[in-house]
Amino acid sequence: MNNLAILPIILPLLASVIVAFIPSKLNIVRKLSQALMVIFLIIVGYIAWLVYHNGVIVTQGGGWDAPFGISIVADYLSILLVLTTYIIATAAVFYAPHSLSDQQEKFYFYTFYFLLISGVSGAFLTGDLFNLFVFFEVLLMASYGLIVLGNGKAQLRESLKYVLVNLFSSMLFVTTIAFIYSLVGTVNMAHIAERVEAIPAEQQGIITGIGVLLFFVFAVKAAIFPLYYWLPNSYVVPNPVISALFGALLTKIGIYSIFRVYTLIFVHDTAFTHQQLFIWLAIFTMLFGVIGALSTNNVKLIVTYNIIPAIGFILMGIGLYSEDGLAGSVYYLMHDMVVKAALFFLIGALVVAAGTKDLSKMSGVIQRFPLLGWLFFLGTIVLAGVPPFSGFIGKLLLLRGALSQEYFLLTIVALLSSLLILLSMIRIFIRGFWGEKMEGMTNDNRKVHALTIPAVFLLAISIFLGVGAEYVLPYVDTISTYLLDRTEYISAVLKG
Amino acid sequence: MQDQLEQFGEQMLNVVLIICFVTLTISVLLLLIRTFKGPSNADRAVAIDTIGVNMMAITGLVAIQLVTDKLNDVVLLIGILLFIGTIAIAKFIEKGVIIEQNNH
Amino acid sequence: MKQSNDLILRTTTQIIAFMLLGFSVYLFFAGHNAPGGGFIGGLMTSAAIILMYMTYGFEKIEKIIPINFRTLTVTGLLIAVLAGMGSMLFGASFLSHADGYYHLPLIGEKHLATALIFDLGVYLVVVGITLTIILSIATDSEDESNQNVGV
Repeated sequence: MNNLAILPIILPLLASVIVAFIPSKLNIVRKLSQALMVIFLIIVGYIAWLVYHNGVIVTQGGGWDAPFGISIVADYLSILLVLTTYIIATAAVFYAPHSLSDQQEKFYFYTFYFLLISGVSGAFLTGDLFNLFVFFEVLLMASYGLIVLGNGKAQLRESLKYVLVNLFSSMLFVTTIAFIYSLVGTVNMAHIAERVEAIPAEQQGIITGIGVLLFFVFAVKAAIFPLYYWLPNSYVVPNPVISALFGALLTKIGIYSIFRVYTLIFVHDTAFTHQQLFIWLAIFTMLFGVIGALSTNNVKLIVTYNIIPAIGFILMGIGLYSEDGLAGSVYYLMHDMVVKAALFFLIGALVVAAGTKDLSKMSGVIQRFPLLGWLFFLGTIVLAGVPPFSGFIGKLLLLRGALSQEYFLLTIVALLSSLLILLSMIRIFIRGFWGEKMEGMTNDNRKVHALTIPAVFLLAISIFLGVGAEYVLPYVDTISTYLLDRTEYISAVLKG
Repeated sequence: MQDQLEQFGEQMLNVVLIICFVTLTISVLLLLIRTFKGPSNADRAVAIDTIGVNMMAITGLVAIQLVTDKLNDVVLLIGILLFIGTIAIAKFIEKGVIIEQNNH
Repeated sequence: MKQSNDLILRTTTQIIAFMLLGFSVYLFFAGHNAPGGGFIGGLMTSAAIILMYMTYGFEKIEKIIPINFRTLTVTGLLIAVLAGMGSMLFGASFLSHADGYYHLPLIGEKHLATALIFDLGVYLVVVGITLTIILSIATDSEDESNQNVGV
């Protein structure tokens, strides 16, 4: 029995319990969390290395075999995203002590943080639809705790909306799982995929209906076009480190679930679901998200709105459902997680440095903090996809896929929205960093530098993804062929 | 003769069960009206308590219908929770606070 | 606040609280293959403790049960996680459990399972969480230390 696949879930769970014993001994808790996180990162890196060399690792929980027990599947896609999660989380744990107040840290920040990591890894790794729901709940519980951390008035107001939206979508999720169970009699994803194939063609309308219902659930979590209304405000209110974790991880769980479900289970009617529904929603998501980013002067809100078009890009690749499209999506997903976290960290540092969130009151920050300024510029062009950085490679793959399938409108919108992303972000750079040196900048240089360093780590990884694309692309291509050919996943889970 | 008697007994039990279920349901509905309308909070408390008693009765009837003794614990459980709930409401009406700092 | 006479409540609590605690132990052990288990057993225990809180007031019970319920929750979680991980030491997969029939002195042949340890963790978590929630709602005095966490 191979227990490796479950380690990324239980190690943070154990860590969260340990740090909950001594919430007020901050020095110990900080050092302990940082040390544990680095060790976990190394362990997860080792597991990822094993998966790439020896193939998919499956752990059957409790020793019950696949369709009956709960399978934890570390395959090429999920372990890659878990590794990315751990990289971001490691940066965040070094950022947190400088960004949060002591009071906030004492209020079980590290417990919630480790629980969030555990839930996110679980959602990535699980091979069971009901278990996916359970891990959604785990990470949502942790996020409820994190979003109100600090107890501000705006936070309480927004967290109420956040909780209500998520409760509603969770309820719908369980209902959908019940539908699936009544139809095919199993909740194991590989088993569902096998059984769905056996359903005769004239009855497949109901499968499509359930698929769209499930897509709705995940679309709420992933913030896809008509359902993103809850996202910007609730991601803006908490502390930058929490926003970074949310922006980099939570919406990506939603889009990953769409990825998993729509490449494994619901692939019988791609002409409707993938090529019409997803493509159109991707177009609208890209457009409206970026319009939101242009409409505000709150620097944090600008970055938050930029989460939405990125989701559009990833959805576009799933909609194309071709080798190029899926490879582009995987690449873009990875790139976006890293660079969004880095940008949230930098925005947190910028807000501390300038002492305000309002862009119109900011100017000339670069004169005092040149490192912060140039890092932000780097982050901006990485995000917008200027060659040779990682955003460019992902978009190149996606656009190549779109053009080869002759989606001209999609291509135009994608290009336009990347241009507008660049505009929205460079606006912060031009108006906030350039110009006259402003009044009221902070004197706490050390704090700003401490806040910048974790972002340097993330940006370095992001640049490696782009410049070192030669080494990364073969893996991504492996993933996309693996996703298109479902047999390896199914046989690994059911016969492993 | 024996068979016929048993059959008759089963049929009668079914009829009685259905009658009981319907009666209890109507009773719960009436109590709900009292809970919403109830001129005073004490009325509401009594109505909620009685709804709980009806729930215990319904659980017992379900146990009879399913021919199982697994639900006996559930009846006891509902009774206990009901008792604590009623005490809490009573204390709230009487004193305005459920758990006092110091009760001499 | 005026002095009130709650003799009936006090007298019944003395009996009923112990009945509840006994019932909760019964439910906890019944959970193996009948309705019950750590969750509902924990709920019953916290019901008994809350009944005592309602009767005797906050200060007295805090003196009698000097347990920090948050620590209790965390301890329960630790037990549950370790019970799951314990199987990994023996090379079995996560959350695997063993069971067997043993002859114990005084109570005779019994069916013992390691799942009970996991259930004990659940029991402690439920007791801790329920009491933390109810007590923090019930006793919202002004001088609470978690009231003013800075933004």
